[in-house]
Amino acid sequence: MKKAWIIALNTFHESLRKKTFYILLVVALVVIGASRFFSFLAAEDELKMIKDVSFSTIEFFGALIAIFTALAAVSGEIEKRTIYPLLSKPITRSNFIIGKLMGQSLIILLNVILMSIFFIVLLFIKKSPPDIETFKTIFLIFIELVLIGSITLAVATFATDAFNLIFSFFLYIVGHLISYGKSLLERVENVVLKGLGEMLYTVIPNYENFNIKDKVVVGVQVSWQYIGQTFIYGIIYIAIAVLIGIYFFNKREV
Amino acid sequence: MALIETRGLSKIYTLGKNRQVVALNNVTIGIEEGEIFGILGPNGSGKTTCLKLLLGIIFPTEGEIEIMGENQYSVTAKKNIGFLPENPYYYDYLTGPEILMFYGKLFDIPVSVISSRTEELLHLVGLYDARNLALKHYSKGMLERIGLAASLINDPKILILDEPTTGLDPIGCKETRDLLIKLNQAGKTILLSSHFLSEVERVCTRIAIFHRGYLLSSGTLDGLMKDYQAENLEDLFVKTIEKFDTQEKQEVA
Repeated sequence: MKKAWIIALNTFHESLRKKTFYILLVVALVVIGASRFFSFLAAEDELKMIKDVSFSTIEFFGALIAIFTALAAVSGEIEKRTIYPLLSKPITRSNFIIGKLMGQSLIILLNVILMSIFFIVLLFIKKSPPDIETFKTIFLIFIELVLIGSITLAVATFATDAFNLIFSFFLYIVGHLISYGKSLLERVENVVLKGLGEMLYTVIPNYENFNIKDKVVVGVQVSWQYIGQTFIYGIIYIAIAVLIGIYFFNKREV
Repeated sequence: MALIETRGLSKIYTLGKNRQVVALNNVTIGIEEGEIFGILGPNGSGKTTCLKLLLGIIFPTEGEIEIMGENQYSVTAKKNIGFLPENPYYYDYLTGPEILMFYGKLFDIPVSVISSRTEELLHLVGLYDARNLALKHYSKGMLERIGLAASLINDPKILILDEPTTGLDPIGCKETRDLLIKLNQAGKTILLSSHFLSEVERVCTRIAIFHRGYLLSSGTLDGLMKDYQAENLEDLFVKTIEKFDTQEKQEVA
């Protein structure tokens, strides 16, 4: 784990040098900042709007950063040939994948923290300090982003960047719409189609599980039990993604 | 006992549906402790493939590798290896001391030891004055030098160097050669690949000549020159390769 941590810190520092991170962060902050200009709305609606836009922005731009960081994590090392001296050192390939995941998770965490600080400052300006529900929402968004990044990292161990990019965005959309798919599936009568649908529903992570913003924005409290269960759900999917990544990277020639 | 041993090592790449490229064919070599072993061969002869196989970066199609009694993937074996890749690329936003610190930590070396070794190594490769410069501002020769320093950070028993003088000026080449001899005298076993015959001739105790993935001959320079009735290494190299090509043509005919 110590060696994975050394690789993680290096990945973190390397990602911090990338312009993509700053561009996405600045655009996200502009979008969050723009949400306060809905002053024509009633005070309560304006606050809801600020929260809704901010949570969505943290999630969407966080997903972009997670995907782009994970894409560069493996292919960047191979393209720049920095992988040769690295793999000749006394590390295992599992150390490499776990280190990359930890490093990109640190970048995601930094991004979420910076956007959240900006959002919380806005809430204070509007004289509505954040409550614990706000932090629960941000926490689940962070777990979702780590999961998105870990899936992109896993796919990067065996697929091209172009395929991975398309796949990751496709999965991001499907993962958010899968709940609707489940309700549609109940109406399907064909057994084969239904079985296939059920299998896909089980395999594809349901990103909507991490989305509690719609409830929080209207003042509904989300139980700690739900937060805990969703956290475990996310960790299981992250662990599976890491195992897939390690499996394929162990077979990959660089 | 050989420090590095390969037995029947082959590497075949499959390109497309029916096309296969033999990068290395049934290579058996043993590198003894304390020697400087040179792998010679024209471009595409399998030198780098052989080194990548030894380091576990790519996997053999057939054959076995033993490094200090362990397989090539062993973390214990890798602790004793220093590697300089061909045209080395490192994280270019780091400075020389930072890259040495990063690699040193991967060897579990205490930070204080890495710091003192870093200073020593930067002096050794002549980069101490450039210690605050990020690697992206380094010339090709400087990258080669920092690569050499990085390969020595763990004070390895085995040094594997892929074309260590590429990009160096004549003075740099001589300094590297002198350094390799000095390191060998200090007890390090060195395996280097090169297509610079003069370099190999001056430093290596034994050589192996590769061509199109085949190991054509190996042994001491004097022994091989006697066998092939060659006047010098260049003559030996040409004769060995010509003999192989002639035999191959005869087989095809």
